[in-house]
Amino acid sequence: MNDFLLTLGKNQRARAFVRALGLPLPLPVSLRRDDGPWRERPLADARVVVGSTSGAKLASAIAECIASAGADPYLASPDSLSSAFRGPGETFGRPARPLSALGEDERVDALLFDATGIHDVAGLRALHEFFHPLVGRLNRSGRVIILSRSPEGAVPEAAGAQAAVDGFVRSVAKEIGRIGATANLLLVAQDAEARLAPVLRFMLSAKSAFITAQPVAITARARQLPEPPLVRPLEKKIALVTGAARGIGEATARALAREGAHVVCLDRPADTGPTSQLARSIGGTAIAVDLAAKDATAAIDAGLRPLGGIDVLVNNAGVTRDKTLARMSLELWNQVLDVNLGATMAISSAVDPLIRDNGRIICLSSVSGLAGNVGQSSYAASKAGIVGFVAAMANRLAGRGITVNAVAPGFIETRMTAAMPVAIREVARRLSALGQGGRPEDVAQAIVFLASPGAQGITGRTLRVCGGAFVGA
Amino acid sequence: MEMRGNGRRAVVIGGARTPFVKAFTDFTKMDTIALGVAAVSGLLKKTGLGHREVESLVWGGVILPGASPNVAREISLDLRLDPGCEAMTVTRACASGLQAVTLGAAAIERGEADVVIAGGSDSTSNAEIKLPQKVVHALAPLALGKPTPADYVGALSQMLPLNEVLPQRPRIAERTTGEVMGEAAERMARRNEITREAQDTFAARSHHRAAAAIASGRFDDEVVPVQTPSGKWVHADGLVRADTSVDKLAKLKPVFAKDGTLTAGNSSALTDGAAAVLLMSEEKARSLGLRPLATISSWAYVGVDPADQLLMGPALAMPKALDRAGVKLADIDLVDMHEAFAAQVLSVLKMLASASFARSRLGREQAVGEIDPERLNVHGGSLALGHPFGATGARMVTTMANELARTGKRTALLGICAAGGLGAAAVMQHP
Repeated sequence: MNDFLLTLGKNQRARAFVRALGLPLPLPVSLRRDDGPWRERPLADARVVVGSTSGAKLASAIAECIASAGADPYLASPDSLSSAFRGPGETFGRPARPLSALGEDERVDALLFDATGIHDVAGLRALHEFFHPLVGRLNRSGRVIILSRSPEGAVPEAAGAQAAVDGFVRSVAKEIGRIGATANLLLVAQDAEARLAPVLRFMLSAKSAFITAQPVAITARARQLPEPPLVRPLEKKIALVTGAARGIGEATARALAREGAHVVCLDRPADTGPTSQLARSIGGTAIAVDLAAKDATAAIDAGLRPLGGIDVLVNNAGVTRDKTLARMSLELWNQVLDVNLGATMAISSAVDPLIRDNGRIICLSSVSGLAGNVGQSSYAASKAGIVGFVAAMANRLAGRGITVNAVAPGFIETRMTAAMPVAIREVARRLSALGQGGRPEDVAQAIVFLASPGAQGITGRTLRVCGGAFVGA
Repeated sequence: MEMRGNGRRAVVIGGARTPFVKAFTDFTKMDTIALGVAAVSGLLKKTGLGHREVESLVWGGVILPGASPNVAREISLDLRLDPGCEAMTVTRACASGLQAVTLGAAAIERGEADVVIAGGSDSTSNAEIKLPQKVVHALAPLALGKPTPADYVGALSQMLPLNEVLPQRPRIAERTTGEVMGEAAERMARRNEITREAQDTFAARSHHRAAAAIASGRFDDEVVPVQTPSGKWVHADGLVRADTSVDKLAKLKPVFAKDGTLTAGNSSALTDGAAAVLLMSEEKARSLGLRPLATISSWAYVGVDPADQLLMGPALAMPKALDRAGVKLADIDLVDMHEAFAAQVLSVLKMLASASFARSRLGREQAVGEIDPERLNVHGGSLALGHPFGATGARMVTTMANELARTGKRTALLGICAAGGLGAAAVMQHP
């Protein structure tokens, strides 16, 4: 799990030396992360430059969100934006200043552009006008976020322009990845503007460090919730995490507990030791169930009933049995499909009556599943299957306010990836916008966010946590 | 007005304070206990109250003497009050003086006492220079056990590096953020867009009003002369500058940030002093034939995140105290705000006047309101008079009680910001 180039890159002298020699070594910057509990002001004193086109709709939501999160807004188009920023500026002592108040060489932490007013090709020029002079001033681990509409259902010209924004964001992500910065696109449905703020807050924060080149759709599909909490979002919630003994599962269990959830940690009977140790250290409960066994759902049901229901289900347990198709036995095929997809579906169905209204189901997909991979036909099939499953399941549960989403990790530094051959591992690490592997905590942060009440606008989606992997949707 | 408990009300009979003087000047040889003794004995003399009649002494302080932190008890013993007069000391940073007064009022309302003296004092001149805990822990085996020569060597070896074991200069810094209070106020000035000129104008007015009050004899009722151990009599506040002006203040250099706006002129100074208030139940005052100056009608204490806007507490506490008293800001005749920094007062005023602040932070549709400068700190404030931390609240209660009684005005609102992100407020009314 030791990334030599990342370590080397932390040393300023080594960095200068590599550059002076002109070595073709990619030296990724270490990402600014925040592994602590959610903060009331995650953007304290951050400089956020806000721009928009005429006819943009989201200024008020943006103003309220970033001022309450503690950021100092700088307006690229003060004439059209300043009235929306006045109230939040007074409330939180974060008055918006014109961008010209900053010196030409002063750096900024985030570039935020409201593109909801773009309807045609000419309108796209605003992207160039805003980002071209500013992108070079972005700080390390900075953020680019564009707010737009989903092209679905728009007239063809508008749909084309809106879809163009997606390609723009993905390219920017690849260009700014070398300084550890990310670029993402939030597609805000017209009736879901009230649900934007918590998503924007998360995507601007250090908690989304490994999410980049990602469109996130915010809709009003799942029933509306009251004002979501800014800190300890999972207080008094009960969460079940499968495959909790180690890796992403363990990081997720810890992260959920840190936000106040009581976590039921589930893993195989063979892993009872680490599972119960984890449960003890986070004040949760351990249950031992073999998900490949026939009576698995009954055992889970029996384990959860005494708790009177759950609020969050994280289907994390998964296996790999990698072989090229020609060499893969049906038994190996079945093992992967049965656990990764079959058990996920079975548990979700079994838990359905036990999950409370406004609950959350989060399933682990994988960038392999979205892109395909040599030797992973079974694994990729199971993980692509998750994408379809959550999309359909979301529809079924939307009326109860329950959201169903998937998280698709890219290259994450775990025991599983540490076992990969060195050359393949090195290629996998570097073939991403951020040029490095993610940590299990990065995935856990995304899962906690999707589990939080503030993520009510996101359902039926697959969120990649992949550092902008060069493959994948 | 809201009635609490059994309908008993606490009234202010009178108040007295020592002159407030700059730290390390006339009162250097008087510790916080001696200053407290001076204020309480002045109060007893002024009100003609017998020593046996005081049932309870409640005292506020911030820099408490390590060997005798219950300053209140030491004052009552030094003054030879009746040994049965119980005493306690409270600390709520700069709101400690008001805290003592409202605790006294609460005790009276609950029927625990009829006669309480409440107040506070601080001697910045006598802040104890502390040895770092590292030294204390290293030396403990030598002091508490039967040390061998090896123990001495061991203790010495723990003393390196030396800069970690030298006594530290005390600073007014937040424990959690490490930020000095002036730096926090400097950030508030920037964030709430309070200009240097506005701060200096406010500071000059504070000095001019305090100087006018002194010149007119308005403070003669509340300030008692103090004789220092060297025999010198101190009659008047030492920090007030009648001759200051916005122009003069504009020449001062910023002290907390290079391009900052806070100066020694628009920040309150380190001060030595004490203030005390005599509180009684209404019935007791009537039976003794004493005329109450004011009632303590309501109070509120709040906390905010010290990492955000450290000194904004009054913007939340003042509306709360108003609600509890059942009055609106528009009904308030006098407002007295502790002036830690001009920037902090002006920031709070801005928040109170903002409708969007009211909506998001107070959950109400209308702004709390604007405060007319003519009603605000009519006799100056901490910028001019100084700010002995624990004494300021009792000073404000005294000045407002006298002002209500003299002018016949109905209602006064007090607001105090305090370290740790605390805020305090109280409403006082004509009895």
